[in-house]
Amino acid sequence: MAVTAPARGTAQRSRLGAVLLVLVAAAVAVRSTGLESIEWVRTFLVIFGSLLVQALPFVVIGALAAALVEIFVPVAALERLGRLPRPLQLPAAALAGMLFPICECGSVPVARRLMLRGLTPSAAITFMLAAPVLNPVVIASTFVAFRGRTTLWTMVTGRFVLGMLVAMAVGWVIGDRTTDRLLKRTPDERYELELERPEARWRRFFVHLGDDFLFMARYLLLGATIAAAIQTFLPASLLTGLADLSVVSVLAMMSLAVLLSLCSESDAFVAASFVQFAPSAQLGFLVLGPMVDMKLLALYAGTFRRGFVRTVVVAASATTLVGALWIGLVIG
Amino acid sequence: MSDVVTLRDVPRADAAPWRGWSHARLAGAFVLAAWAGLFWFLWLSGRVAFFLSSRTDWIVPVAAVLLTAATVGRAASARVRSPEPLSAGELWISCLLVLPVVLVLSAPPATLGTFSAGKRGDFAGAGFATSVTDIGEGALTLVDVAAGQTSREGERALAARAGETVRFVGFVSRFDDTPADEFVLTRYVVSCCVADAMIASVRTVNVTPGAFADDAWVEVTGTIYPVGTEVIVQASDIRKVERPDRPYLTP
Repeated sequence: MAVTAPARGTAQRSRLGAVLLVLVAAAVAVRSTGLESIEWVRTFLVIFGSLLVQALPFVVIGALAAALVEIFVPVAALERLGRLPRPLQLPAAALAGMLFPICECGSVPVARRLMLRGLTPSAAITFMLAAPVLNPVVIASTFVAFRGRTTLWTMVTGRFVLGMLVAMAVGWVIGDRTTDRLLKRTPDERYELELERPEARWRRFFVHLGDDFLFMARYLLLGATIAAAIQTFLPASLLTGLADLSVVSVLAMMSLAVLLSLCSESDAFVAASFVQFAPSAQLGFLVLGPMVDMKLLALYAGTFRRGFVRTVVVAASATTLVGALWIGLVIG
Repeated sequence: MSDVVTLRDVPRADAAPWRGWSHARLAGAFVLAAWAGLFWFLWLSGRVAFFLSSRTDWIVPVAAVLLTAATVGRAASARVRSPEPLSAGELWISCLLVLPVVLVLSAPPATLGTFSAGKRGDFAGAGFATSVTDIGEGALTLVDVAAGQTSREGERALAARAGETVRFVGFVSRFDDTPADEFVLTRYVVSCCVADAMIASVRTVNVTPGAFADDAWVEVTGTIYPVGTEVIVQASDIRKVERPDRPYLTP
């Protein structure tokens, strides 16, 4: 039976009413029921809020960059990059990350948009993973965090080199897979395929900006919720007993990086506080964290197909582990 | 193959009449407006200090401006030729995206307290010390004290200040093994956002038992005694104070 326009309008109004009711109820619950006075609720809200307040500006900056790529970068320019031989393409993509001083949350929409615009997926993924590790702000924060220690240059150069190698290795593993095999399509993009019309450029810019932000924000929200819950309940001391076991200590620090979901511009300070762990374990934390963590996993799951997420997690973790252990052997 | 099919022979869409509002774009504009409003509020009210360090709080006005521009641009683009209704799923996702804004605005400003103190890393382990000169001269801060415990030089510089009078502001923490006439004066050190908070603390002795509840903000005046990696303050005066406008320290 066909739904009439007035009936559809009534249903929409009821749904809108329900949504407003939920929002008001949430405000009242926090304000009037004393929920906020429960310690773990308060702690969770503080950490959850701070993760979002810190990460969302970078998502909007990333969405802005992605919209600029979509509207202003000609497809031909990206196709030219794609024609470079892979031994040149992947390092070039990794080093391009140095030009984007954005956190990991911002690099995902940019990489997604680069792939949609025709850049080779392996290069786009290399860029996405390298940018949050190689950008100058992150390198500077690593320098400041380890300043005054004998391991300063091991940590700074180790993070840069290992981060670049891991990003390139994952790009290499992605190989010739096409954008269609890697990327989930959103309803909006399917709509574009069918009904794209040459709207004014400024309108397309703002629609892409908003779409990318809203798309990424929902997954960031999920990741921030999980990360905040872990930070609220997981004692940092839980892992310090493993510090003396070489392979296990690197794995422990890598796991901690995934669970804590810190911004790559601040994680060096936290890594530096784990003095019980060897530099190789701290490097594992610093290299893997900006590539794989709870909020990123949620973002990846929304952006990419499941097989790709598995590939990134396995390839990045394995390469980081091997690289960190090798550096550990070299520096003794 | 490119994803977007550009129909070169189709006349510019701007020439065709607009038929209505896209509910999907309007809902998106509403979400963007909510987040823009939150960032403006945090910036103008100073509440940003409850989430970010002074190092990174510049991102809040940047986000406020960008999100406001994004809201205006999206709202201005919401009039379309083929209006699409907003699906129930998209509406609830929009609700979910606004929910954190409602939670942050409704909750009174709060900080990490004693509950987290036992779960967080110790700032004394982090390498970002102020210089030994900073520790050796001028008024000692909690950051100086904690940073002084990161190296032998720092410990020596701190030890040279033994017996000096210090004044620290922090909140009261107690653990299972804390004696009744002591508490741990604690302050969180945040380098980026509260998620990376670490602890700077000193053991405070000569405290009237039961006088100060956990999480109460106090100003402790007393004599400092660095003993190896532990720093003790023998309190001569402890008074309750308001929570500082910037509750977290920046290294």
